[in-house]
Amino acid sequence: MQNLLKILLRYSNFLVFITLEVAAFLLISYNNAYPRSSFFSTANNFIAWQHEQMSEISGYFSLRYQNEQLAEENAALRNQIYMQDSTLTGSSYHCMAAKVVQMTTDEMHNYLTINRGNKDGIERGQGIRNKDGVVGIVRTVGRNYSVVIPIINTYTNLSCRFSKNDYIGTLQWDGKDIRFAQLTDVAAHMVVNPGDTIVTSGLSPVFPEGIPVGIVENSELKEGASYYTIRVRLHTNFKRLKYVEVVQNANQHELEELTNGVD
Amino acid sequence: MEWTKQLGRYIIVMLLQVLLFNQLQLLGVCHPYIYVLCLLMMPITLPHSADMAIGAIAGLIMDIFCNSLGIHTASCILLMFLRPYILGTLVNDKDRLNEQITLHVLGMETMLKYVTILVLIHHLSVFLLAAWSWAHIGFVLLETLVSSIVTIIVIIVYNALKYK
Repeated sequence: MQNLLKILLRYSNFLVFITLEVAAFLLISYNNAYPRSSFFSTANNFIAWQHEQMSEISGYFSLRYQNEQLAEENAALRNQIYMQDSTLTGSSYHCMAAKVVQMTTDEMHNYLTINRGNKDGIERGQGIRNKDGVVGIVRTVGRNYSVVIPIINTYTNLSCRFSKNDYIGTLQWDGKDIRFAQLTDVAAHMVVNPGDTIVTSGLSPVFPEGIPVGIVENSELKEGASYYTIRVRLHTNFKRLKYVEVVQNANQHELEELTNGVD
Repeated sequence: MEWTKQLGRYIIVMLLQVLLFNQLQLLGVCHPYIYVLCLLMMPITLPHSADMAIGAIAGLIMDIFCNSLGIHTASCILLMFLRPYILGTLVNDKDRLNEQITLHVLGMETMLKYVTILVLIHHLSVFLLAAWSWAHIGFVLLETLVSSIVTIIVIIVYNALKYK
C-alpha cells in the first residue's frame, strides 16, 4: 500500500496529465459523435450566442468582400434588365462591376481610376454608372486599370432628357460644386419645375436610355435669353464612390462608324 | 510580472486571436494560434499540475471560440505538460525561470528553440485532432508548418518589441 502511494506521488504530475487529457479526449469524441447533445445544450447556446456576437464584430472585417459580391450581383441583375430591354428595343447593353481605386473630386478636371482594363473588355467611350445614377465615361484604358472622366469634369457633355416629357438637354459641369451640374440647351418655352427628374437620353451609344442623372434644383431664365440655366442635383455621391458598373454596348462600334460616316 | 498583468495580456492576446488571427484565410492553411504566447511566457513558479490546469482552461476558452470542443484543451494540456521538460533541457540555470520567460531572459537562440519546439507540437496536435484521421497528414503537416511560422514570428516580435 505504501509503495503504491509512493508510486502515485512520484508520478502524480503524469497522472494529472493523463486525467486531463482523457477528459479532453472525451470532450472531443463527445463533440464529434453528438454535436448537439442535450448535455452540452447550454454550452452550445452560449457558443451560438458568442458566435452571433462574434459575427456581428467580424462582419466588419468581411464587409469589403461582401460589397464586392453585392456589386457583382447588382451588375448581373442589371444585365438581366438590359437583356429584357434589348428584346424590346434591339439595343444591347452589358454590365460589369468595377471598383474605384483612386479618385479626385476637388479639381476642375476630376478623374477616377477603376480596376478594370482591356483584359476585361473595357474600351474608350464606355459608360460608367453606379446604383444611384450616371458616373462618367471611360477615357484611357490600360491593361488592368482604366481612367474615367466623371460628369464632375468640365470636359463632360452628356446628353440628357426630362423624364416627364422627353425634352433633351446637355449636361455640363461648371467646376464649382460636385453635388450639382448644369443642364443647358433647354429652350425657354419649356416649363421647368424644381424636382423634375433628369435621365440619360439614350441618343449617344454610351448609355442606354433612362439611367437616372439627377433632379432639378432650381432653374433660371435670364431676361431675353432663349435658354434656361438649370441647376441639377446629381444622384451620384462622388465623395463616397466605391463600386461602379461599366456599361458596355455591343453595338457601340457600329454606331460610331455610322456617325463618323455622317461627318 | 504579477498575475493580474498576465491575465490582462491574456485578454488582449485572445481578442487579437479571435478578432484578427481567426479571420485569416490564406489558402486555408494559415491558422496561427498566437494565444499560446501567454502559456509559453508564464513563469515556472506554480506546481506542474496547476500549470496543466491553467493550460486546460485556456484551451477550453479557445475551444469555445472555435467551436472545437476539446481540441485546444488537449493540445494546451500537452503543451503545459511538456513545457518544464523542454525548458529543463534547454536552460541550465533554473533560477532564471522564476521570472516570466522572455527573449531577454533566455537569449535569442534558446528562446527560438523553446518557442519553435512547443509551438510546432501544439499546432500539430491541434490540426491532427481537428482532422481526426491520418488521411490528410500531408495537408496537416503543411498547415502546421505555415501556421507555426506565423505564430513563432508573432511571439518573437512581441518579445523583441516589449523587452528590449
